Amino acid sequence: MFEALRKSSGILGMNARNLEYIRPLNRKRGRNIADDKLLSKRVLRKAGLPVPKLIATIRNNESLEQFDWSLLPGGFALKPNRGFGGEGILVVYGRKKNRDDAWVKADGSLVTIEDLRAHIRNILDGSFSLTNSPDIAFFEERLTLLKSFKPYSYKGIPDLRIIVCNRIPVMAMLRLPTRQSSGKANLQQGAIGVGIDLATGTTTTAVIGKSHIIEYVPKTRLALSGIRIPYWKEILRIAIESQNVSGLGYLGADIAIDRERGPVLLELNARPGLSIQIANLDGLKGRLDRVKDLRVKTTERGMTLGMNLFGGEIEEELEEISGKRIIGPVTKTKLVGRDGKTEIEVEAKIDTGADSTSIDIDLARRLGFNDTVDGYLKAAKDWQEISELSGGERWKMFEHIPGVVATIPVKSASGTTYRVAIRIEIVVDGLRVPARATLIDRSNLEYPVIIGRKNLSRFLVDVTK
Amino acid sequence: MEHYHPIIRFVVEGGVPIQTAVLLLMLPIVATLVAFFRQIVGIKAFGIYTPSIVTFALIAFDPNGLKYGIAIFASVIFVGMITRFILRRFRLLYLPRVAITLSVISFSILCLLVFGGYYHRTGLAAAPIFPILIMITISEKFVAAQIEKGTKTALILAAETLGISLIGYALLSWSAFILFLVEYPWTILFTIPLNVFIGKWTGLRLSEYVRFARIIRQK
Repeated sequence: MFEALRKSSGILGMNARNLEYIRPLNRKRGRNIADDKLLSKRVLRKAGLPVPKLIATIRNNESLEQFDWSLLPGGFALKPNRGFGGEGILVVYGRKKNRDDAWVKADGSLVTIEDLRAHIRNILDGSFSLTNSPDIAFFEERLTLLKSFKPYSYKGIPDLRIIVCNRIPVMAMLRLPTRQSSGKANLQQGAIGVGIDLATGTTTTAVIGKSHIIEYVPKTRLALSGIRIPYWKEILRIAIESQNVSGLGYLGADIAIDRERGPVLLELNARPGLSIQIANLDGLKGRLDRVKDLRVKTTERGMTLGMNLFGGEIEEELEEISGKRIIGPVTKTKLVGRDGKTEIEVEAKIDTGADSTSIDIDLARRLGFNDTVDGYLKAAKDWQEISELSGGERWKMFEHIPGVVATIPVKSASGTTYRVAIRIEIVVDGLRVPARATLIDRSNLEYPVIIGRKNLSRFLVDVTK
Repeated sequence: MEHYHPIIRFVVEGGVPIQTAVLLLMLPIVATLVAFFRQIVGIKAFGIYTPSIVTFALIAFDPNGLKYGIAIFASVIFVGMITRFILRRFRLLYLPRVAITLSVISFSILCLLVFGGYYHRTGLAAAPIFPILIMITISEKFVAAQIEKGTKTALILAAETLGISLIGYALLSWSAFILFLVEYPWTILFTIPLNVFIGKWTGLRLSEYVRFARIIRQK
């Protein structure tokens, strides 16, 4: 019982959301913008943020009678201005062939002008608005589905919900429409919610319904984890800027990705739901507490903070699965000296194109291989000659040099040369690796050490790191 | 009379019926109960008015409060649901639609009472009218919830409302509790600090421990 209490302390409940976040942070002006889709569209567009293009608005029965239906393009979305939970939205995908008074919906059914009129009348009467008060209907452009999202969604466009507080994105979720949700990206209606690692924009765990964890898209073998969200940084930037514009301190930004336009802001939410926590298997309160007192002056800073604070778990997970460590193309590496005590830390280039590790002769001297370097330099006066010798003869030339354990042929653009190798221990990302390192003068190169394939078997290289 | 607190004695001697005084004293308790269930337990119901008024309706149905009260409540919800399905395709505006729903429910309840009368359930036929009317009008809440949140959620909310009302009824018809109230009426004042506490409560609701069980287990 007390265990459960302690563990649940990071979870945001309805009481805390209303009392500590929505009430003090979302003032009336912000709520007005969020609840009025046309107003938020106008405000966001003014601020230079991408929103779906408005085609036409119908404010009353009179303008409905006078409406010029030929204005409508092949595909569009018809929405109530103050709708909630995705109710009352009608989307058509194209004009019916050979008819200019009918359109086709995603499921193939026909929508005529008469149907549109009836639907608009319902919207105007307030059938879909929160308080049943009269509403405005509007047409906007239909967004097109991103190709890479196609296999994951059922007749609709997935969108991203991003919770932003104090200019820092704190949690995100990808919502995939399903057959159950009849093509709507709404969790209450049965859509899939997929948690996202904020650092990389890669999906983690997925939930369907109330809290049923799933691994694959229903009835397929498509894994829901590991999906890379394109334009991830841009999406975070838009979410943060929409917070600046709307003045909502605790915001749920809904962003979709259009095939041509990229990320587009669909909607602002002044009372974002709590299910996002289940999709991410993590509590919001814990995260919100961590960003509460931070001073964030710029969008960039907020983005970096969010990515660093609430991401990176994927990487650890990958390390756990593969048992391999993830390192960047240039990694701080410690070299252990000949006496086993001296340790020198340098920036090493991780070179998966090279076979073996090699170190600069000057560095080798500092590691206690003075005599090795001297002997090597003396013996290797004539490179041409060395390359013509057989393996055994070559070894004879070098074996007297203290510290040398092998001669290694090194292929390069100018032909094959031979280098001598010493035995040395290197410590990469905390992992001790015994290595045979060849000696070469690297004084004119950027990094004194390159680490080659032979010593990289326990690592994965992430080029973005 | 000899157990009455001086205040209650003063009220009664002023001509106010003791039942009225007790019911008025109970209202804050029922309201607090509803607030407690919403904020701490996480049972939503239809706001605060509906469960409170249903509680009092159940009491007004006494001595057969439970039996008839639940029967009428369930009939109202059931008929309200059916009517909504029939009316949906006519696409009527909200208030006329609710008006029709209320009419259909009224007829149905009348039939129920007559039915009860002919089958010698005279208690049902003779049930007081005001609690019946209260029960009928709460169907508006049900219809509104049905439109906004769907039938399933509306049914859950109705069941929650009935549940809270039954607990309220149990408390309010407990004679020891009534005696306690007339003896120490000032204890009612404690509902105010209690509500301040509930109103500032930011912990998880009990229902949320269930909802987020996956996350709690994960940690």
